[in-house]
Amino acid sequence: MPITILSPKPSHPPPSPHDISDSDSDLSSDDGGGGAHLDFASLGLPSHQKSTHPSNNPLFTNLVTPGTLITPDPQWMRGHGTYIPPSTTNITSSLAGITTRTNKLISVSPLRARYTPEVGDLVVGRILEVQAKRWRVDINSIQLASLPLSAINLPGGILRKRTETDELQIRTFFAEGDLVVAEVQQLFQDGGAILHTRSLKYGKLRNGLFVALSGQGGGSGVVRSRRQVWTMEGQNGGGKMDVILGVNGYVWISKHVEQVAKELEQKHMGITNMEENVSAGVYSSQNDFIDSATMREIARLRNVVTALVENGCRVDEDMVIRGYAEACEMAMLGETGAEDIYLGGQRGEELTRTLRN
Amino acid sequence: MPLDTSTYGLALLRVDGRRWNELRRIHGQIRTQAAADGSSYLEMGHTKVMCVVTGPSEPGPRRGGAAGGASGGAGSGGQSKDAEVVVNIVIAGFSSVDRKRRGRGDKRTLEMQFTLSNTLAATLHTHLFPHSQINISLHVLSQDGSLLAALINAATLACVDAGIPMTDYVTACTAGSTSTYAANDEGADPLLDLNHQEEQELPGLTVATLGESDKVVALVCESRVQISRLEGMLAVGVDGCKQVREILDQVIKAQGRKMILEGTVDKGTGLNDMDLD
Repeated sequence: MPITILSPKPSHPPPSPHDISDSDSDLSSDDGGGGAHLDFASLGLPSHQKSTHPSNNPLFTNLVTPGTLITPDPQWMRGHGTYIPPSTTNITSSLAGITTRTNKLISVSPLRARYTPEVGDLVVGRILEVQAKRWRVDINSIQLASLPLSAINLPGGILRKRTETDELQIRTFFAEGDLVVAEVQQLFQDGGAILHTRSLKYGKLRNGLFVALSGQGGGSGVVRSRRQVWTMEGQNGGGKMDVILGVNGYVWISKHVEQVAKELEQKHMGITNMEENVSAGVYSSQNDFIDSATMREIARLRNVVTALVENGCRVDEDMVIRGYAEACEMAMLGETGAEDIYLGGQRGEELTRTLRN
Repeated sequence: MPLDTSTYGLALLRVDGRRWNELRRIHGQIRTQAAADGSSYLEMGHTKVMCVVTGPSEPGPRRGGAAGGASGGAGSGGQSKDAEVVVNIVIAGFSSVDRKRRGRGDKRTLEMQFTLSNTLAATLHTHLFPHSQINISLHVLSQDGSLLAALINAATLACVDAGIPMTDYVTACTAGSTSTYAANDEGADPLLDLNHQEEQELPGLTVATLGESDKVVALVCESRVQISRLEGMLAVGVDGCKQVREILDQVIKAQGRKMILEGTVDKGTGLNDMDLD
């Protein structure tokens, strides 16, 4: 006998803004589950039978799906997400997304797609392969990125020459499974990326927690913004935390360690030759001691980030900081106080609703 | 139980009460798996299929492990200029009436994988993703006829969700004929969207077309049928594909509207929004 899958019912009907409910009945999801529900899309009724047709809403005029004709006019230029069928001048969409026009260039930005690297992007990646002179790094893109040995800061200063010994010891810098923060330095024709970590901001990651977010391209998830790395104060007794939002949807949250500044003090050196004094400690895989309060706050911050993504919010500095403050307040209102870091389901929705208002 | 086709002539109703040109209820959902690049769930009547798309990503056995062996791959190898489309179909043991265990090397499944990967490789813009691989994994949860058509439709939805550029939707549908091959009935009506019972007894074909055009991208016929009946069946099938496209398009658009209303994506700039300059 065929089976039926019922979608889980919310314990209370989610508040649907009136513009959702009157524009499309599909979205008011209190219709009693997927199995028995007969919605507009399932019946395949011609759309004009609806009283308020969604395509009349000016918000949705730029929503296109694959195969939609955008314009037959040859004065426009075709950009990403579009194609021109042979022997026509019809610019046609090849994605489900939103059309964007820059002067005469028409392109479609997808609702969701994999990350496509651009020069200068800050990314968090994981080393997957170690080769003779380079590492292969997973940056959630269509291909693995490569990090050449010549593009990292070797211990002992910037003027040090790369030797064969370094090539033999390549695993002492990064080994398989290590997490790195890097910048996209160069792109290949086919979309592959070359990374570099030639700055004190970049390098191996430790003392923290890795989060992978899905849903790139369309604007949910991490967006390219002014600041993607910052240090914030932990509440409820937690120490300072570093947050790195990789543009590729990989996020790193860690305990803040003031190592570089301390070293400089000890050696009485200026800021100018800072990069020359990268010590072997940069490539250490050993975590420092992290007290439990900081660990808890790191976990809370992680839950804030996943709740933002789950509920379709952009992830940027402002949203994360406000979300974290809000999450701390929500926790204090609860029975268990600061120990309560759960932000899934309804609590996540509640959090994002407060942030949106 | 043999299908009694004699009653069709009396009321022009099929075993499940449909007319000749009626589709079964189609229900589609996208973004069903948060962690996947693209995912979908599709019901065509009682045929229920789940699809997950991974990629385009670096090829190799590391991801999915489906590169060799039982899965069908098209669009040439991983190091070539085009992305490779690798399809993997799993048919659950509980999906049909008689519990049957189908192994990895089942010939029927292999053929469906091959058909699907060729169809999609021809439609997806694989030239945009050189040296990479698109993994499409399909799970059949329940079968009641038109399995290949449901698989193609579910894969299309998932690929759109994954943001993989394609020429147009590939939508599929089955068509049959009201009497058996042996009856040799010239006046037999064509039927749209066969269920399991009809598929067992009557001649049928699966047709997949590209968007709103009449371009056929896949056509599979595994039964004997008089050539004179084929044209009618094909015409009805192509027409059904257009109806299916409309339904799938609504599913995608509903998701897009939801994302715009939630503010996840901008509303964009169209050709007529001149005031923005």
